[in-house]
This record gives sequence, structure tokens and C-alpha cells, in this order.
Amino acid sequence: MRAKSLLLVLLMPWFIGFTSDENLPPTGDTPVALVKKIVKDVTYKKAGQSDWEVAKTGDPLFDQGQVKTGSKSLALVLFTDGSGLLRVRENAVLNIYGKRNDKQLDKNTYIDKGLIGFEVNKQENAEFKFTTPTAVASIRGTLGFIEVGSDSSTTISLEKGSVEFQSTRGNKGSGTVTGGNTAKIDLLGNVNLNSATEEDKNKNSTTKQLTTKKVKIKTPQGDIEIEYYSSGNR
Amino acid sequence: MKKKDFIKNRFFSIIIFLQLFTANQVFGQISNIVSSVKIGDAKEKLPLEISAELFSSENITNMNIAYKPFGENEFKKAEMLIAGNTASITLPAEVVIPPYLEYYLIINLRNGSTQTYPLDVSQGVSPLQISVSTVSEKEKEIIVLSPNPGEMLSGDELLISISFIKAPENIDVSKTKIFLNDTNVTSYELLTGDLIVLSGENLAGKIGYGAKLLTVEVYDKEGKLYHTLSRSFQTVSAEVAMTVSSKWKYYGNLKGESRNESYNSTSTWYNNISGEFNTTYNDFRFNAFAYLTSEEKNNLQPYNRYTAAFQAGDWLDLKAGDSYPIFPNLIMDGQRIRGFSGALNLGFINVQTAFGETTRGVEGNLLQTYPVGSVPLGSDIILIDKVKNIYGKVDLGTYKRQLLVVRPSFGSGENFQLGFSYLHAKDEVGSINYGARPQENIVIGTDIKFAFDDQNILLTSQAAISVQNKDISTGTITDAQIDSIFGKNSNLGMSPSDFKKIRNIVGSFITVNQYLGPWNPQEFSSLASETALSLNYLNNNLRASYVYRGNDYQSFGQTFIRTDVKGINIVDRIRMLDNKLFVSFGYESLKDNLQNTKVATTTYQTISASVSIFPRVDFPNITIGYNNYDNNNGLNVTNAQTSPFAVNDNTNRVLVQLSYDFTAGIRHNSSLSFTTSDRKDNTLAKMNANFSSGSLTLNSFWNQQLSSLFGIVFSSSEIQGVPFKYISFSFGGKYLMLENKLQLIATLCPSFGDFKRQTLEFTADYNVLANLNLMFQARLFRIPGASTNSIIGLVTRLAI
Repeated sequence: MRAKSLLLVLLMPWFIGFTSDENLPPTGDTPVALVKKIVKDVTYKKAGQSDWEVAKTGDPLFDQGQVKTGSKSLALVLFTDGSGLLRVRENAVLNIYGKRNDKQLDKNTYIDKGLIGFEVNKQENAEFKFTTPTAVASIRGTLGFIEVGSDSSTTISLEKGSVEFQSTRGNKGSGTVTGGNTAKIDLLGNVNLNSATEEDKNKNSTTKQLTTKKVKIKTPQGDIEIEYYSSGNR
Repeated sequence: MKKKDFIKNRFFSIIIFLQLFTANQVFGQISNIVSSVKIGDAKEKLPLEISAELFSSENITNMNIAYKPFGENEFKKAEMLIAGNTASITLPAEVVIPPYLEYYLIINLRNGSTQTYPLDVSQGVSPLQISVSTVSEKEKEIIVLSPNPGEMLSGDELLISISFIKAPENIDVSKTKIFLNDTNVTSYELLTGDLIVLSGENLAGKIGYGAKLLTVEVYDKEGKLYHTLSRSFQTVSAEVAMTVSSKWKYYGNLKGESRNESYNSTSTWYNNISGEFNTTYNDFRFNAFAYLTSEEKNNLQPYNRYTAAFQAGDWLDLKAGDSYPIFPNLIMDGQRIRGFSGALNLGFINVQTAFGETTRGVEGNLLQTYPVGSVPLGSDIILIDKVKNIYGKVDLGTYKRQLLVVRPSFGSGENFQLGFSYLHAKDEVGSINYGARPQENIVIGTDIKFAFDDQNILLTSQAAISVQNKDISTGTITDAQIDSIFGKNSNLGMSPSDFKKIRNIVGSFITVNQYLGPWNPQEFSSLASETALSLNYLNNNLRASYVYRGNDYQSFGQTFIRTDVKGINIVDRIRMLDNKLFVSFGYESLKDNLQNTKVATTTYQTISASVSIFPRVDFPNITIGYNNYDNNNGLNVTNAQTSPFAVNDNTNRVLVQLSYDFTAGIRHNSSLSFTTSDRKDNTLAKMNANFSSGSLTLNSFWNQQLSSLFGIVFSSSEIQGVPFKYISFSFGGKYLMLENKLQLIATLCPSFGDFKRQTLEFTADYNVLANLNLMFQARLFRIPGASTNSIIGLVTRLAI
């Protein structure tokens, strides 16, 4: 009898907790993300729009919006549910998708090409996915970069956290990449999972550089202008 | 009058009524050492700052805080940093768990006695409680996406964005007001769905450069203030932003204090200076801190503190000077070490280490000498001259103690980590002349962690075994001594040669002699282990743990741990109604006498329950808690033979805490708490104790310059039939003048009843230059018919 009572007391909170969720407000016309910072040539496009517009700080990005960066350019994109940010490096195209699910915002991004650094907070129930021509990656809380090469191969390298991924082609290899490791998925769906190389670590470091600096060198033949990234506030 | 207003007014009438008859923990705890305790913002899983203002630190050797989260029986202890007249500590984030923390302060005095704050905790007076709010649900609902805290932005980059995606339905986003340094900039906002955006483009030319305080007032659909958020950041020119982003960032401050304490007609000057310097470059961070005081004396443990720390991302952490390294808590936690500590975290393999001095050698005093033949017995009688064979009665000194701890581990800890710890601590026998029983200690431990499903399932376990030598003054046992003990006529069952082999092996780790223990390792007397499983599902956070600590377990890196105990602890924290309701249950059952070293086994059983309500409407946040402590060793309390050893007591404790931010003409924030406990001792000792205490504080914000404080405390206790009652009032105010450069603060606290005292505190803080402040502090405390004492000081702060 005493054991039954104890069991009942222990189980009761679980039932109470299980029944405590509430239905929450419906979706609205809220952006999925917004542009936090731009350097040089950044353009964006809304769903169904044919022309690219010059992006400005604070521009909202709605479901199916796109962001494109030019040479030596970058865009910092913040998700409106506070789940994290993406650093869109030069010559990249980022497609943004989002769906309100009660108070959660399920996010997906499609990367045509280029390198995207990400810093994503721990996701509770919401989804955060990256899709590339060769892979789908699902993340919860992590820091790293994803790169789509000119041959459409995908590289996912992490400093922290973990990412589950699956190839969408050929062998449809899958796996989990964790902090300090890199996964490469080729066009045939083959997966290579290794420790991050120095090059990967450098890329992880350079994705965080958010400002460019210019140095002008005067020569008899004219001025040489060198522009390079430097670290800065995100 | 509407029914709702009637209920609300009625509720306030009850609060005001209760205010007059209840007591407070913050202002009214009586102590001749601690003036008041300031608690930081206690939010779930965020570090919590606690500082105790002291009337005088002159007679204090050191101060520790004892704290425990809800549902646990055992208080953890940690040393506080004493700087000037303030003792402070930051509790680690992992112990700051709703619904509340209990704590008390342990003050060790120079005369060897110990006092607690509040007084008489060991006699049954309730410890103090700190309500821990669930990480501000309102801040989870309303998110400041940009700027980041402390961010430096150029005009082009300026972006203020607030997201209401997670806000409740009753919020009217369009009513939100946004202020920058008190200037209303709401009209420049762009509202897109549940997102507010103000960009540099909208604000161009409207705000200047410099430090900015963003304040966001959020209103509900009825126009009532729902929540206020604030965030500091800086706006700078594009050139400055560029320059700053490419250089080392650094900041620092210097602080000097000179104060005079007049105590019982004795006047003493104290001086101290502290400095802090921080610099960062990318992931590299360097921090230096020094605190030097005139209270530093060779015949006391150190008061000065100095630390230099270097961090490289998450992978390298080096500290030199004073630090409080954290290892598995059975090995080392909360212990100051002066030396070096560091960690190298490579993920798959990591190493953490610390070595240095934990106790400074402090020489004792020779009081009297005795020739051989007339030496009395006594723990303070020692041999002081081996040649002449002279003994002496001494004030025992403290040996210098050196400690080394190292912990290699495998795995990052995100999903798995396996660690091994080794600790060796030894008193330096030659560090002082007049001391007794220098000791040595070794601890070997292992710990393991498994985490699944994004740490929603967490299994942790650790075990450690200790060996201690309680007197190494005679050194290692000699061959001759071994031969005489284990020689021909010995019946100890071991040959001298075998013992010498063991001595040589063990002796390379620790001094081997007759004081080495434990003597009963087969009974696991020096074993300690803990295992805990946490499950975080279905809005439940359930944690179940088992502890075992043998009676001889001892780690010199963790001198506060409770030994001779085993048992289980189960705590469940349940979030309901979209985090508006928080219910907690706790059960703990512990037993002692693990190695049959006591007359009987005592069972310590604790049942805890708590309900917290965060209604998110115009109504107070409420926490109600109940604890029952039952201690019983089963001995007959009426039997003459067993009654002196009997333990049979039961304590019930009820806690009610309310906090309420409201507008009644002006903005106020208020808190009300009430605690009552009743201990019934069924043994012949009749150590009955009942204690009731309550408090009310009301902070009122009259305008940008003036705010006021009002508080009442009532305390009533009766310990072993001796009643003690008092009431304290607090009246105070803060006023900003001369364009907010001069801040004046004054507080008057009279106490009446069995404890009579009046204290007056006055502070004037003047911002002479942008980075230079001068502060004058005066504190008078008068005990009617006894004395009037004062502390007057001048503090200079310079920021670089």
C-alpha cells in the first residue's frame, strides 16, 4: 500500500506536467529573420520578386526570402525568434524559410553556394535546418560553418555542439558531426567524417571576422588598395 | 468599485496588515558583525552575487557561505572574499535553481569562536531564503535581438530590434515604448508583424555618440505595463568602430579606500587599494586583479588577494595567484589556493591542474616551558627542544600547507566525459616552530558523465578514496622501528621485510607511520561516491541521486564536505501552465553510522514541497514552500542509559514570499516574506525551538532623480524556552543631483524590542570626471545605554 502511494506521488507530477501545454497564438506576418549588418555588396529578394534589392541594416527577411553577397562582402542575419545568427560570407546565396508553429519558429535555409558561419542557440522544440544541393543538416545548438563548394559538395565543420546530417544523393550517407570535427558530403552521397583540419579551424575563425579594413600603398605607378577582413563586434 | 479592484484592494490591505506583523531577512537579522546582505538578481541557472556588508572586518578570520538548493538536506560551503567592509561571493550558476535557495553565513572570529548570520542557525533559527525566478519568462517572451549587451556600434550599423514572436496574446506590440537614455524614440520604429525595428537610417542625426541605455516598456492590451527591459550599448563614429574592432580591447579600474573605524572608543584606520585590468583580442583574454590592504599581517591568514588569468577560447585557461579551482566536488571545490591553476581542453583529452599554498604558515606563541618530569598533559603541550628535552605550552600555530591536484579527462563533456583525479596535500613540518600534528592527505578519484538527447538525460557519477596521515611530525617509520614492532616476538602476522616493502611503495606517495589511516579500509570508511540521474521531459525536471561518504573520507581540497552519511535524494521541478506555475517536490533520506562508530544510526529524512506562481498579470509573484525535517536514531528517549544519545526531533518550516511591481501614482517594487519554523525535540534535552520572521520592502521611484526605500522586519524566536523578539524599520532614499553626477544615499534603521540598535548610513558618490569617482561613506550605529560607534571612509575609483 505504502509503495503504491509512493508510486502514485512520483507519477502524478508527470501527468500534471504532460497535460500543462497550452495552445498559443496563430502565425502572423512576422519576418523570419532580419539583416543585422552588411559589408559592401549585399542584396536581397522577397518571395516571387525577380530583381535583387540592395540590403540595408534592419531589412526584414520573410519566408522564402534570399540574401546574396558579392566579392569581399558579408551579411549578418539574425533569426527573429532569437535562436541565433548566420554569417553569410562572400559570393554566397542564402535562401530562408520559416514556419510559425505556435510560439516556435521552424527554420530552414537553402544554401546554393558559398560559406555560411552559424551560431545557433539550443533549440527547445523548434527545428533549425540547413539544406544544400547534397545534404540536409539538423541542428539544435552549435557553432561552426557550412560550405557548399563549386562542385556542390557540402562541408560542415563545428567548433561546438553537434549536427545530424544526411546526404540527399547517391549513397545517402548520414551521421553526426560534433565539436572539433568536420563532415564532407560529396555528390555521390559519400560521407567523410574527420577531425577538423587547420584549414577548417581557420575558416571557423575567419567566418567570425565582420569588418574589412583598407590599406592604401602609394607607388609611383599609382595607389594599391588592399582590403582585408578584421575581427570586430558581431 | 469593480469586483476585480475590490479584490486587489483587499489583497493590498492584507499585505499591509501582514507587513505590520511579519519580519524580514534582509534588513532585520541581528548581528554585531553583518550589517546587511545584498542579493543579486536570482535567476535560474545564472551566477548569483551575494555580498555582506560588515560593521567591521577587524575581528574576522574568514567568512564562508553555506547554501543549498531546494529539496537538498546538505549545505555546501564556500569561502567569501573579504575586501574592505564587504564579504562577497558569486554562487555558481548550476546551484541557482528555482524555487529558492537557502543560505546562511559562517563567520570565524579571531578569538577562535564561530558565529552564524542569522544568529543561532545551529540552535534552530531558520536559514535565509532567496527566491529564484525561472529565467525571467518575460525575457524569454520578449527578445531584444539587437543590440547585444555592451555592443559598440557605429551610426550605420545601429540596429534596435525587439521580437515578440514568443510574447503572450495579451501583449499589444503597438503600445511598446522605446527609450534611448530617457529620450523616447518610439516614433522612429518600424513595426513588422511581431517585430519592432529601429535602424541607424531612421535614427540618423537623432542620437549622439556615447553610452546608451535602451529601455523598452511593454504593455498589455489594457494599456498596463507588462514588462520593462533594458540593455546598455555604445554608439561611436565609424572610424572609432573600425579602430576599436582591430585593436586590443582593454578596460580596468583602480579603487582606493581609507576608512576610520571607531569601535568601543578604539579608533583604527584601515587602507586598501584594488586594481583590475582586462584585455581581450579575438578569443584571447587576460585579466589581472589585486587587492592590497593594511589588514594584511604575517600572523594571520592572507587578506591580500592577487590573480592573473589568461584564457584562450574554451581550450586554455591559466591562472596564477589566488584562485578557487573547481574539480569534482568530492576532490576540490570552494577552496582558495595561492599558486597556479589551469586547464587545457582539447575535447578528446583534457587536463586540469592546480598547485600551491592553501594555508599560510603562521607561527604560534610559546607561553610556558616545562622540564622533563614536570610536563602536564594537554593538546597544546609540545616538545620544543629535542636536544635539551624541553616541553612548552603554546598557542598552536598553523602549518603552511601545499596542495597539488591534477585531473586528466577524456571527452568534451557534451555527451561523455571520463575523468581521473589525484590530490596530494601536505603540511610543511619546518614552516613553523610551535605547532602540533602536521598532516598529509591523498585522494584518488574518478568521475564519469553520460548525456543523451541533448542533455535531457544526464547521468553523472563520481567516486573517490582518501588516505590521511594525521601526524607526520615524526616522519616515516624507520627500519629499526619496523623491526621492533614486526620482529621475532611480534604476533601481528607480517614480516618486517614485507612491511618495509609496503612502506617503500606507499611511502613514495605519503608519509608512512602509525598515524596513517584509515585503519578499516575494508569497510569503505574512506570511500565517497555520488551518482545522479537527471531527466528533463514532459515539463518535469527530475533528479535522483545516491550518496555514500565514509566516516574517514577526507580531502584537504574540500574541507566542508559532510562525511559518515549515505542515502538518496529525489527532486522534481514541474513547469505548468506555460511556465506560470512551478511546483517542486523533494524527498531525501540519509543515514549515518556507516562504520558503526556511533551508539546508534540516525536517519535524517527531509520532505520538501513548493509552489511558485508567476501570473504575468497585475498580480504578485508568489512562492509558498514547506519543509519537514525528521531526525531519529531509534534510541529510547526515556531510558536512562540510552537517552543521552537519543536523537528524536522533528521540524516543520513554512515559507511564503511575494514580490510585486506595481504602479500607484508612481512605480514601486515590493517584496514580502514570511518564514516560520517549529522544532520539537522529543529527547530529554528538549531542545525545542520555534522561530518566525517576516519582512517587507518597498522601493518607490518618484522620478528620475529620487527613489526611496521602506522596510519592516519582525522576528520572534524561542529557543529552549528563552524568547527573543524584535522589530526593525528601514527608511532610506537615493537622490541624484548636479546633472546626475552626485548621488546621495541615506538609510536609517532603528530596532526595537529585545534587540535595540539604531544605525544611520550615509553615502555621497561624486562623479568628478567621466572615469573618476569620489565616494564618502559614513555609518553610525548606536546601542542605547552601551555605545555609539562609527565607520567613516573615503573611496576613490578610477576607470581606465
